Amino acid sequence: MRQKKNKKIRRSKGERIGYFLICLTLGLFAFTTVYPVWHVIMYSLSDSKRAMSGGFFFWPRGLDLKGYELIFKTSQIWVAYKNSILVTLLGTVFSVTLSAITAYPLSRKRLRGRGFISLAIFFTMLFSGGMIPLYLQVYRLGLINTFWSMILPTAMSAYNMFILRNYMQSIPESLEESARIDGANDVIILFRIYLPLCTPALAAVAMFYGVGYWNNYMNCLLYTNTNELQVLPLYLRGVLGGAAANALSASGDTSSLGEAAALTEETLKMTVVAVSVVPIIIAYPYLQRYYTKGITIGAVKG
Amino acid sequence: MNTIVGSRKGKIRKLLRDIRTDRALYALLIPGIVYFILFHYIPMFGVTYAFREYSVVKGPGEWVGLEVFQKLFSRISFQRAFENNVIISLLKLVCGFPVPIILSLMINEIRRSVPKKLIQTAVILPNFISWFIISGLLFAMFNVTSGAIPGIIRWLQPDAVVTNVLTDKNSIRAVVIISYVWQAAGMGTIVYLAAITGIDQQLYEAAMIDGAGKWKQMWHITLASLRSTIIILFIFRVGSVMDAGFDQIFALSNPLVVSKIDIIDTYVYKTGIEQARFSEATAAGLFKSTIGLTLVLLTNSIAKRIDSDSGII
Repeated sequence: MRQKKNKKIRRSKGERIGYFLICLTLGLFAFTTVYPVWHVIMYSLSDSKRAMSGGFFFWPRGLDLKGYELIFKTSQIWVAYKNSILVTLLGTVFSVTLSAITAYPLSRKRLRGRGFISLAIFFTMLFSGGMIPLYLQVYRLGLINTFWSMILPTAMSAYNMFILRNYMQSIPESLEESARIDGANDVIILFRIYLPLCTPALAAVAMFYGVGYWNNYMNCLLYTNTNELQVLPLYLRGVLGGAAANALSASGDTSSLGEAAALTEETLKMTVVAVSVVPIIIAYPYLQRYYTKGITIGAVKG
Repeated sequence: MNTIVGSRKGKIRKLLRDIRTDRALYALLIPGIVYFILFHYIPMFGVTYAFREYSVVKGPGEWVGLEVFQKLFSRISFQRAFENNVIISLLKLVCGFPVPIILSLMINEIRRSVPKKLIQTAVILPNFISWFIISGLLFAMFNVTSGAIPGIIRWLQPDAVVTNVLTDKNSIRAVVIISYVWQAAGMGTIVYLAAITGIDQQLYEAAMIDGAGKWKQMWHITLASLRSTIIILFIFRVGSVMDAGFDQIFALSNPLVVSKIDIIDTYVYKTGIEQARFSEATAAGLFKSTIGLTLVLLTNSIAKRIDSDSGII
């Protein structure tokens, strides 16, 4: 019988304790990341009265969907959701495209003025005119209270553009040369050859823009003042502020007035938070891979 | 034909010729340049409002030199915002900067790949969530009537009086710092982990043969290799020290705690957007941006003095 090689590394007691502590710390940290979301979902599914005593929730205390019924009956949350989704999708496509067509010329070493333009763009990462001048500029452009005011002012992030530029720079120039010999012009080279090669960087940048647009509420806050253009974070803000929550429970079906009364303000708040966060949780496993890869690419090449 | 090298006419001709050759590239650049001019550079010139009277009715008025700044600095609300800004930013820097480094070192030690991936997944999750959702989560955890933590405290000690940390002036800064660290740690951790995986494994083996224990290995190999990444991230971080986090502060502010966490950006918002005092708000914003720029240039030149390859400029 062949003797099995002893593969166990002898670890000192100190190392074993250290490892245990590391696992413990990381486990606790992961718990604090995951538990609050779980808690909110469980609370929102619980009977309002029984949930009122607080404490930890591992399961709903008496399954109760009244909160969800009420929320989904009101139309404002759908408006907010629609706006957030539209802004995120359109904004991401717009921003990624804009960043790519700006990054490509700047990645070509032969371009005259490349250094100057790159520096000018880089400078915007270090200094800005501030909130007020930007607001006045948006006003001057006639964008106040328009859908595009939530996309255009932040249409391109210099940081993301540079990630694309650096990635493109790392592609061998010989590729461009041989394409040119075959008769392709600059635009064709960009779209047919370089962009397909840049998929990892494009995915990364798309992730950054996407998450940015989804969570950004400042544009909506500053440049719009109508409910029709409201985005999800601001809707949440209204509910958490309490006033909207009271209005919601008051607007509950008069025929079910008794049930509306049984719905506490806290449960309503938890329900809205849950509704806001669940889509992220669902999309998260798919997106997280690209996000992590994106940060890696940005870090190494940036 | 004037072909003397260095002659002006020849240079201009060459420039025009190059532009013509690359005209497609320049065309591609136009939208981006227009964007930066419209939304970054023109507003930069808007800082002149800080030096003029500006009325909502009449528009920009006469130049008043530094009067606006004098008025601004004399306001208690601004002084308070500035003080909070600096304190909160420094606390965030001191508490928040080391955490991703430590986390990445810890995660690197995990041997089995499944828990390792799970931890990484858990760590960046807060990055995906907007600050209003986080404020909702904080509410769920800490609100006195039905929160998780107060509930536990009351279960352990039924008579305990629990303060609402979200509306208490004395605890709100801690809430801001801790929730910030919680939310932002993930991003940095992934960056450092990426850098760590690039380290040559043979260095560790050589060190082990030379008798270096875990701690020495970590210090001399892992941290040493991370040094340039750390320095670059640190420079960026210091440069944005005046950015104490509008999104977070705005989401967590309420009248009871605003005196302790109001920062320059939220001050600018209140003064400029809500009260339409454009001159003062612009002055405050300009003040903040200038300090930020100075800090980045300063930190960058200090970093270059230590290690000439480092730095972002």
